[in-house]
Amino acid sequence: MLSTDLRDNVLVVRVEEKRIDASKAPAFKDEMTRCIEAGQNQIVLDLSQVDFIDSSGLGALVSCLKRLGPRGSLAVAGATGAVSRLFTLTRMDRVFALHQSVDSAVEQLSA
Amino acid sequence: MVSSISLSIDSDLDKVSLLARAVRALCEDLLSPDDQDAVELSLVEAINNVIKHGYHGERGKDVQVAVGLQADQVVIEIIDHAPPMPPQVLDSTSEDAFTFDETDIANIPEGGMGLALIRMNMDEVEYRSSESENRLRMVKRIVPLS
Repeated sequence: MLSTDLRDNVLVVRVEEKRIDASKAPAFKDEMTRCIEAGQNQIVLDLSQVDFIDSSGLGALVSCLKRLGPRGSLAVAGATGAVSRLFTLTRMDRVFALHQSVDSAVEQLSA
Repeated sequence: MVSSISLSIDSDLDKVSLLARAVRALCEDLLSPDDQDAVELSLVEAINNVIKHGYHGERGKDVQVAVGLQADQVVIEIIDHAPPMPPQVLDSTSEDAFTFDETDIANIPEGGMGLALIRMNMDEVEYRSSESENRLRMVKRIVPLS
């Protein structure tokens, strides 16, 4: 469900699913955990293909953030519509740095 | 205009999105895109709760959804036959779930947000249990186009 691309030492992880819901959250978390355990700690999550996330999906993102630890960063790019609204409603927009584009997220993390 | 439809799925998380998309489509002409998002999220959270907490993830149990399209509101009822939600879950207020300290990463919630999200997204939420069933009734009012 994920495709990855390394840019300026930042791992860009693109979610290739339209929904990250309770049925997909465990697989999402497993795949993200593998990226993190492979040593990546600057990650941009590209959500531009995603049009729905529920609280289980959001919980999986939070779990990844915890797994990254204090030296890691997880930025979110391309969240729109219902996805962006969920971040705001749950105040998770204070936890994750939200970027309009992957480019601006990569730029910030690689700086 | 009053019309209603009943839909049902097996208690399988893989099937929740089918129901969500169906109900969203029913609301398309009545609600704004933001309100459709609100209804879809509330429905998904409610059904996830039934499957995960009510039926403990067991498949083969029934989850019914009744959708009433009325002139001024959309009424969605989720009916299940699991043990009822504990009263302490229902008593928690919706703001509690999201009053975390964002600098304290270890304590940012990973779950327990479902009911709070439903309350934030719907205009009325009511939960009733009887001997035979549990019924979560959620109402979204239709805002007339100005």
